[in-house]
This record gives sequence, structure tokens and C-alpha cells, in this order.
Amino acid sequence: MSAEGAVSVDHVWKRFRVDRGRRLLRDHLSRAGNTIRGSRNDDSWRWVLRDIDFQVAPGESVGIVGSNGAGKSTLLKIISGLMFPYAGEVRTSGQVGALIEVAAGIHNELTGRENVMIYGNLLGLSRKQVNARFDEIVEFAEVEQAVDRQVKYYSSGMKVRLGFAVAAFLEPAILIVDEVLAVGDSSFQQKCLERMREVLTGGTTLLLVSHDLASVGASVSRGIWLADGRVQTDGPIEDVLGDYRHAIEVEAEQNSRMQGDIRVTSVATTGVDGRLPAVAEDVTVKLTVTTDRERDARLYLGISEGQATPIFVVMHAASLAEGSTEYEILLERLPLPPNRYFLWFGAWDHHTLEQATPWQPIGPLLMSGQRRLDRVPKAIVRLSPVYVSAQWSKVQ
Amino acid sequence: MEVEDETQSHSGMPARSLDAVDENGRPILPELPDGPDPSTRYRRSHNTRSALVSLWQSRGITLSLAQRDLRASYSQEVLGFAWVLIGPIMLMVVLTFLKNVSNTKIDTGGIEYPLFLYVGLLPWTFFSTSVSTSAGSLVNNPLLNKVYAPRETFVLAQIIEAMVNTVAAAVALIVLFVVYGRMPEATSFWVIPLLVILLVFAVGVSLFFASLTVFVRDVRHALPQALQLGFFVTQIFWGLADISQGWRIVVCAINPVAAVIDGIRRSVFFGTAPDLTLTLIAAGVSLLWLMVGYRVFKRLETGFADVS
Repeated sequence: MSAEGAVSVDHVWKRFRVDRGRRLLRDHLSRAGNTIRGSRNDDSWRWVLRDIDFQVAPGESVGIVGSNGAGKSTLLKIISGLMFPYAGEVRTSGQVGALIEVAAGIHNELTGRENVMIYGNLLGLSRKQVNARFDEIVEFAEVEQAVDRQVKYYSSGMKVRLGFAVAAFLEPAILIVDEVLAVGDSSFQQKCLERMREVLTGGTTLLLVSHDLASVGASVSRGIWLADGRVQTDGPIEDVLGDYRHAIEVEAEQNSRMQGDIRVTSVATTGVDGRLPAVAEDVTVKLTVTTDRERDARLYLGISEGQATPIFVVMHAASLAEGSTEYEILLERLPLPPNRYFLWFGAWDHHTLEQATPWQPIGPLLMSGQRRLDRVPKAIVRLSPVYVSAQWSKVQ
Repeated sequence: MEVEDETQSHSGMPARSLDAVDENGRPILPELPDGPDPSTRYRRSHNTRSALVSLWQSRGITLSLAQRDLRASYSQEVLGFAWVLIGPIMLMVVLTFLKNVSNTKIDTGGIEYPLFLYVGLLPWTFFSTSVSTSAGSLVNNPLLNKVYAPRETFVLAQIIEAMVNTVAAAVALIVLFVVYGRMPEATSFWVIPLLVILLVFAVGVSLFFASLTVFVRDVRHALPQALQLGFFVTQIFWGLADISQGWRIVVCAINPVAAVIDGIRRSVFFGTAPDLTLTLIAAGVSLLWLMVGYRVFKRLETGFADVS
């Protein structure tokens, strides 16, 4: 634990009161009364973190993923020292800097210049350090013209950029980033990612929480998946994201009762010659849809990696008879790298365009094969994983 | 849903932990007990000395917090800092007027009433704004989760702010001395230790109520009422000369501000030392408040982030 930037989380437990927020004077009085009478208070607690245990080496970049309420933000607050664990211990070495709701630290009544100075001080930079970086910060935030104006006359984007810019010029040993990349327009986001990588090149340890799995995958090398307050998987980011996405799909599938007028009653996928689906080979999806009455509908079939947002969608305008109709959908040379995917289905009436069947997952698709995506440097963020075979030849 | 599972037989798949997942698609983890081993309970060490050292190291942050609020509250108003003066002066004018029309006899020892009143008004205003702004400083504060410094800095920043405002309001005092052609007596140096007592008391009470407000929100409503009551109970528009020594001790033990105001009046106006008994009582009570307030604050501090 001597090296700057190390984080050690040692069997940490944390619980919250279930009824927090309803703590009025009379509640306290009745609790005090119960204690005096010797009867027990019926406090109900909920564990938000259970036995979290991991080490982060200096300079390592770790992405923490998990659904809402999994305990990610609580864990970050404990690591940054703002919150205290119930049991266990967290040790960090070196300065901790956090990019969490950066705009909240910007005061509306102050000018941009005053905000940079004061917010910089509050985040732990000395006056001298802020002065030395002032121009860079202002340039980064793109508020050169407005720096002497009160922040309340800024656009909300400018305000967020200013907050991020100040925080981005901290050079802590441990940088904690919680869902801040969802701010600003895409060119600013790109700038933020670049800045983050710059800081990382300097040897800073990164702990990143984001629901944007693509950018997590592109920014960190190790992943930790939290669910119900426990570490589910901890390992290389690709593996962790794969596991997490799979669980999302399974959950989505469980939660969705096949509903709607046009129901999928069976689904199956096969590759070439009855083998398993493989990268850049033809894949056949066999789909049986059932409807109660004759109708014209548009059927949509999509494949996703983990969210309702699919990688691609194919549509078919169908005339369905009453009862079951079986389809074979040939997806030619499907360019998806080996991974777990999910098939999604939805149907809309052909004439009224009314939704007949909501967009929902209908089954898994496993891609096998040896061909993998080329690894890309962190400066490039891939949107969706598509395998395209390419031939490079030198032109004489 | 009735999806046939035949074609997706997973045997021999390259995917990693596929066979080790449960029906929710999550890896099968070892069972955990209902709670942690009691011996691993997190205990925060309460080391006052190191706490004070880290508080001192955060002085830059404390000042920045105070500066932030001060700048923000005056930067855009037309009258700016003048507002700090307008409040107490209005109160002084109204109370003087009321006293004159109602013909109330108040023993000021021959000092002009506005001057007598204003000297009492300043310490009280400092105390009451310190306490009431501190009480709200830890709840709904967006900075609370961003600033890595001991939480006391938030309370101390409010007290510094009240201090700056009080010093600004003291400008009117100079004017009053000039208008009435008076000079502070040579014994005025007593004001310094008296203000130290006032500061200790204000910090103690502020720390206590700031931490309590986080857990018992009712305090936010009760506190202004108590402070308003305190305004009348403290001899701001009257003097301690109006009550017996027994009552004086009671008043000063409950509210050390009373002893501070009385001491300031004696040393500045009448050239005598403050009443030793009352001053010592006030000093003792203030110190007790500081110790209790700080203790309570530190004890509750671990839970601030959980609740607010």
C-alpha cells in the first residue's frame, strides 16, 4: 500500500435504513422510548454493499458496471472517503480526485473566473496551481468569451463544461469518474475522454462508473460487475462486459411476458450446415409467430449486445393468416464477433402503424468462431462490434 | 414465454463462465452470511489532535467556502455590503423609537440609547447568524460530496462569513461614537477576550446544531424560534443593570452572549473591567458547548453522507 495510487477495499459492508428520510422528531422520541423500556426497535436495514473485496494497483484503470441500485455510487463514495463503511476497511494512497456531478459545484452568482478560482481551491488545487492552469481550463471549457460573465447567464452546456474543466485539471493519484461523460455535446465528450486518457498516461489510477458500456470498454482494462451489492465478476473488461450484458438480456427476457397480438412461439438459430452460428458466416433464424386473426403486419427482428438498442434491425412486411406462421430468416455472412447476443422482436400493424407487439427480447444468439475484432487504441471508441474482413495491400 | 431450447444447446461453447451462471444469468457465488463478522466492524478512530491538524491543513478550503458565499451574496446587489449595515440600523431605529414613544425606563448608565443598543446588537447578530446558517450548511449542500476536507470546514466557513458581516456592520458603530461625541474607554482591551468567548460559544453551538439538523430535520424549524426568543431574553435592548445578580448568573449561564454584551458595555462605556463572575461563567459554559458540540459533531460525522 505504499505506492501512490493504490486502492485496497477490504471486505467492505454497508447498509442503509430502509425508511430513511422519515426521521421526524416523534420517530426519534418513540425510538428513545423503546430503548428505555428495553424493547427492540424494529429497524429494517438493507445491505447495499456486501463483502466487497478487491485491490487496485497504481496506474490500473477499472470500470465498475452494474444496474441502478447495485451499489456502484456508494462504493465510490466510500473509496473517496466521503462515506464510511459499516464493516471492513478501505485504504487509498495519494490524493483522490472525483468527477461526480461536476456542475453542482459551480455557483450561479459568481463569474466564470471566480468559479474557476474558488472551485479549483475547493477541489484541492492551491491558488498558484489554479493560476498556472487558468488559461488551459478556460480554453478547455470553451468559455473564453464569457469568463467574466456570471455563470447564471451561461447555457447549461457551458456550465457543465466549466465544472468539468476545473475538475479535469486536477492531477490526483486516484481519479474517480461517475457518469460524467453523459454531459456536453459529442465533441466535448470526445475531449473529456482524451483528457482522461492524458491523465491516465501520467500514471493515475482510474475508477470509472458508467452505463455507457461502449465507452467503459474503450477506456479501461479491468472490469468489476456489481449486482445486489456483491461483486459478480472481476476480470478483463471484455469478459466482465460480456457477463453483465448476458445477465441484462436474461433479466429482460424473464421480465417480458410475451405480449401483444402477434406472439413468437418458437425461435431457433443455426449456422451453416446445422453448426453453431459463427462469425462472418450465414446464420438462419427460425421463427414461429402466432396470431389470433388474419392481418398485415411489419415484423422487426433485431440483434443486440445488451440493451434494447439493437446493433441492426431487419424488417419484413408480412400477411399473416390466423394461427401459426413459420419463417426462416437468412442473415447472410453475419459480421458479429464471438459473444453472446440477444434476438429482439417487435410487430407493427402494416396499415395503421399501431404497435401490435412491443419490442422485446425473444432469445439468445451465441456467435462462435476464431475471428476476433482487432484491438483498437483507447483513443478510438467503437460504437458497435461489427466484424469486417479487410485486405490491406500496398499500392506500388 | 414458450421458446424451444433445442438448438441453443450450450455444450462446447467457447464462452467463458457460461456454465457457472444461475437462472438470472449471474455467476454462482458462494453463500454469504447475513452480515459481516462483528470483529470487522469499521471503527473510526477519534483522535482530536490529528483531526485538528487536518482541519488546519484545510484552512484554504474553509476560506474559499466563505469567500464563495460572500462574493456570491454581494456581487450583484446594487447596495452590496451596505445591506449588512441596513438590517441592524433599522432595528436600532425601530427599537429606539419604540422606547421613546412607550416611555420605557431602561438603565443605560447615561449612555445614549442607540449606542447602547447597537453595541449589544452586534454580538447577538453575529451569534444568531452563525448558528442559523451553520445549521443548514450540511443539508442539501451540493458541495458536501465534492470537497475532501473535514466536515467542520462547512460550519467554520459560515462563522467566518458571519464574522466578516459583523465587522462590516461595526462601521456604523464608529459613526455612532462620532455622532454622540464619545470615545471608547481605555479598558476597551477587555473586548478581545470577550470576543474570544463569543467565538468559542458560537462555534460550539453551531457544530452541535449543524450535525443535529442532519438527523433531526425539525431543528431547522425550532432553531429560528429559539433564536428569536434569545433576542428578547438577552439584554440587547435592555441592560443587566435591570435585574438582580442571581438572575444575571442564570441568564449568563444559559446564554454566554449576555455576559459578553455586558462586559463589552462595561469596558467600552464605563471604564471598568467586566464582571469577573459572569465572565468566568460565560467562559466555562462556552468551553463546555465547544467540547460537547465538537464531540457530537465528530460522532455523527460518519453518518452525514448516508443521510444528507
